[in-house]
Amino acid sequence: MMMERFEVIVIGAGPAGLAAAIEAASNGMQVVVFDENSRPGGQLFKQIHKFFGSKEHHAKIRGFKIGEKFLQEAETLGVKVVLNASVIGIFQNREVSVMLGDRISHYRANAIVIATGASEKMIPFAGWTLPGVIGAGAAQTMMNIHGIRPGNRVLMVGSGNVGLVVGFQLIQAGCKLEAVIDAAPRIGGYGVHAAKIARLGVPFYLSHTIIGARGAEFVERATIAEVDQNWQQVPGTEKDLELDTICLAVGLTPMSQLARIAGCQVADLPQKGGMVPVCNAFGETSIPGIYATGDVAGIEEASSAMIQGKIAGAAISLAQGYLSAEDFQLRYASYDHSLGQLREGTFGHENKGRTDLKTTDDGYPLSQFLFRKGYLADGELSHYPGVPTSERLNQELMPVIECIQNIPCNPCQDACPQGCIVIGSTITNLPAINQSAKCSGCGMCVVSCSGQAIFLVDVNYAPGYAAISLPYEFKPLPAVGTSGVALDRSGAILGEAEVISVRKTAVMDETAILTMKVPVQWAMSARFFKQL
Amino acid sequence: MKNADVIIVGGGVIGCSMAYYLAKSKIKAVVLEKEEIGVGASSANGGGVRQSARDLREMPLAMHAVTKLWPGLTDELGVDVEYHQKGNLRLGKTEGHMEILDRIVGQGKLAGLDLKIIGRDEVREICPYVSEEVIGASFCPTDGHANPMKTTLAFYKRARELGTTFITGEWVKSLLMTKGKISGVITGTNEYHASKVILAAGLESRTLAKTVGIDLPMQKIMLEALITEALPKMFPQMIGTAAADFYGHQTDHGSFVFGGVTGLEPFTSDESQPVTRRFTAPATCRAILGYFPCLEHTKIIRTWSGFLDEMADHVPVLGQVEEVPGLTLACGFSGHGFGISPAVGQLVAELIVNGQPSISLEAFHYDRFRRV
Amino acid sequence: MKKPMERTFHTSEFKAQADDSLIICRCEEITKGEIRRALYDGMSTINEIKRFLRVGMGLCQGQTCNRLVKGIIAGELGIAWQDLEVSKPRSPVRPIAMKIYANDGLVK
Repeated sequence: MMMERFEVIVIGAGPAGLAAAIEAASNGMQVVVFDENSRPGGQLFKQIHKFFGSKEHHAKIRGFKIGEKFLQEAETLGVKVVLNASVIGIFQNREVSVMLGDRISHYRANAIVIATGASEKMIPFAGWTLPGVIGAGAAQTMMNIHGIRPGNRVLMVGSGNVGLVVGFQLIQAGCKLEAVIDAAPRIGGYGVHAAKIARLGVPFYLSHTIIGARGAEFVERATIAEVDQNWQQVPGTEKDLELDTICLAVGLTPMSQLARIAGCQVADLPQKGGMVPVCNAFGETSIPGIYATGDVAGIEEASSAMIQGKIAGAAISLAQGYLSAEDFQLRYASYDHSLGQLREGTFGHENKGRTDLKTTDDGYPLSQFLFRKGYLADGELSHYPGVPTSERLNQELMPVIECIQNIPCNPCQDACPQGCIVIGSTITNLPAINQSAKCSGCGMCVVSCSGQAIFLVDVNYAPGYAAISLPYEFKPLPAVGTSGVALDRSGAILGEAEVISVRKTAVMDETAILTMKVPVQWAMSARFFKQL
Repeated sequence: MKNADVIIVGGGVIGCSMAYYLAKSKIKAVVLEKEEIGVGASSANGGGVRQSARDLREMPLAMHAVTKLWPGLTDELGVDVEYHQKGNLRLGKTEGHMEILDRIVGQGKLAGLDLKIIGRDEVREICPYVSEEVIGASFCPTDGHANPMKTTLAFYKRARELGTTFITGEWVKSLLMTKGKISGVITGTNEYHASKVILAAGLESRTLAKTVGIDLPMQKIMLEALITEALPKMFPQMIGTAAADFYGHQTDHGSFVFGGVTGLEPFTSDESQPVTRRFTAPATCRAILGYFPCLEHTKIIRTWSGFLDEMADHVPVLGQVEEVPGLTLACGFSGHGFGISPAVGQLVAELIVNGQPSISLEAFHYDRFRRV
Repeated sequence: MKKPMERTFHTSEFKAQADDSLIICRCEEITKGEIRRALYDGMSTINEIKRFLRVGMGLCQGQTCNRLVKGIIAGELGIAWQDLEVSKPRSPVRPIAMKIYANDGLVK
């Protein structure tokens, strides 16, 4: 009875795990990936939004498509991906026990990659055990994997990227997002993610916490209230909300149990989300041959997880003799650079937790209003290089890029065939309008911006009217000629608007370009169309 | 530098039990514990409170504990230690097993224990869940089980309320002797002075005793157990087998705690921290299902592992070390200290307070190995 | 617990708080008040509270409540959060039926 031994066992077929498997297999290693779910891809398969970053980071591709790509690549390289396989323990001598079907199997490996990801943090409050209180990630799984609406009227607790992205997806699924709250005084996620929600009329309550949820058998009401700098409730600020679902997006924490069971040294680091295995730069833990990569080694984004996985895969290949030292150095340098890019900017590693940032790296003011309310104030726009001068706007159709924080992201630059948009080699730079290029109105920038922050504005559409083109990701798509109202960045109704064009082609990948006709005085404030 | 009347090294069930009984007699000991209360064998045992199948030397302590101390312990300590006296069933499937059980029953009878062999039908009257293959059992109606974690913490809580000082995170490194007598202990960070020191530190008792020239034939054995999800109440007896391949009981919570033995333990115990092996839990499951096939769908939610302080003759070292005046030993419980822990606590307290325990501890003398 | 800690007995009475009924360990339904009371009664580490109350012994094995309990202990005892150890995770990290666990192909 022979014990099956693999060169590499990867635990978790999410972005980090698959990336590690692909990297190791591409160097000739024999790799098996165990995943306890019936579908691989980890968090990727729930991500229906377009990713940020640059081309090498799979920018503007929807998360689940990246997942599909990874799987295909893994299969082509001969990686064995075993689903419904729960790794229940890691034992001495790099032994792994896997529960699959009606039996458990023991395997040994020359190298193990722990890529088990993270789970959602919870905050307790009165009534938190009522049906209707769920994690934002759980809501996302329900909607995007199982096609079930988690509820009808939702409160999102937490304004980090998870809360903002899931909040938007809840609206896409047909829920009403009643509010987004955060105990912090600033929105934690990207301004563009907040703006997507704000323009739909969702209010943000910063410095607010949830006091309690009430209901007979499930959530029916919730009370929120303001807190001061010491997190103490400010009397008289209670607000009562009628709703049926409370989504908690209060952070993720690594699922490092397997690493700890294996005996890896761990550290409880708040900036990494909790208890993480202590790893070197290549992802190796304190136990030789055991690596940890992705969220389990520190909460970041899926894009970072993919690169970290590659680094671990390369390190294993080197250690096991499948990669020369020189080749490894080259690869590592390239991966490390790529990872470094993702960690720069307003939300980068160095700036984590900082509340005092006033300017972008490239010298523009950081809108404090955006941090507090989720949208830009009208008067702030002119500061930014992605917003054309009023002179140019009066002359011709122009893109207006309302992306004003340093985020490592540049698909807009590549999208424009005319070269209208410039970011440069530092991909965290704010996108700027190229003064010598001419906009053809194709709208590719509008659909390529994962933050849905680019609009086409034509103040000369017709006498007294401007045409505003905006990204539209809701169903049903309004038909040309539909009457409705235009909303401003805060979601307030400006007045009547009419749909004059709806474009959706395969290359736009489900982001339609909706063009509405509005009175010209709203050209720089109308940013959403609502059918009545 | 701190002073005390009595220092107890070790905050497990033995240390806490002794601390409690001392406190009851108005002696406020100082308990020094390396890590946390009850973190060693006290939280890694099957919870059995039995008299049957004990070495004859332990019988008087076990019978005293079960008759006089366990029944009132919950009320006395003010914490539910989950003690249940519903008997111990040791199951057999073969003639060979029944012979083993006969010997155990014979031994028990020598000590005057209510222990008997029962046949197929009677086993099933007591516990209808056993497999068809079980042909008989030994049954001791006065045996039972309790919750070792809660018992340890209950002794601790009550002793603390009565004025005992507990200091955790204090690793005792060495005993101190002055002018030929015990004068205290040295820890990693402090010195404590007392004329009486009791070692109840499990395996480390051997290390510490060595610092004053006493070496005990004690070895480390690593044993594992598993815990299931909660189930509706099935049977209240403590279960064991003649084959000695598993043992356990159903707790108040409804979960089952089962320990298992693969036979490899003497060869696979050389770890610095208790770990679980990949093959132990599966082997334990096979053993359990061999006697309780009805548990086949029951989910196991955790396994754990702990070190035993096994003495060469499988019974503890209890009592004063005459050649080192002031030193008392209470260690080497070899995997079955929990059941007798209240008795040990009471008797050692009597030894300290009166100079004399009410039940003789001669059989557990530290120097008995030389005499054999 | 790495630092020496004396388990001093309180001379003052246990004070109830408004949110004592808040459930902290959902799997075993243990409230904040029970945890606070256990702390008052001398349990001072996550493991001691776990063994005394069953906090973290349920199906999720503390994944949800460990951090919350850590926060409560740190707050009540005035200990730095980083100085508290969480309880040890153990295999199986997912519940596994006995019949399946028994079937590892080594012995039939």
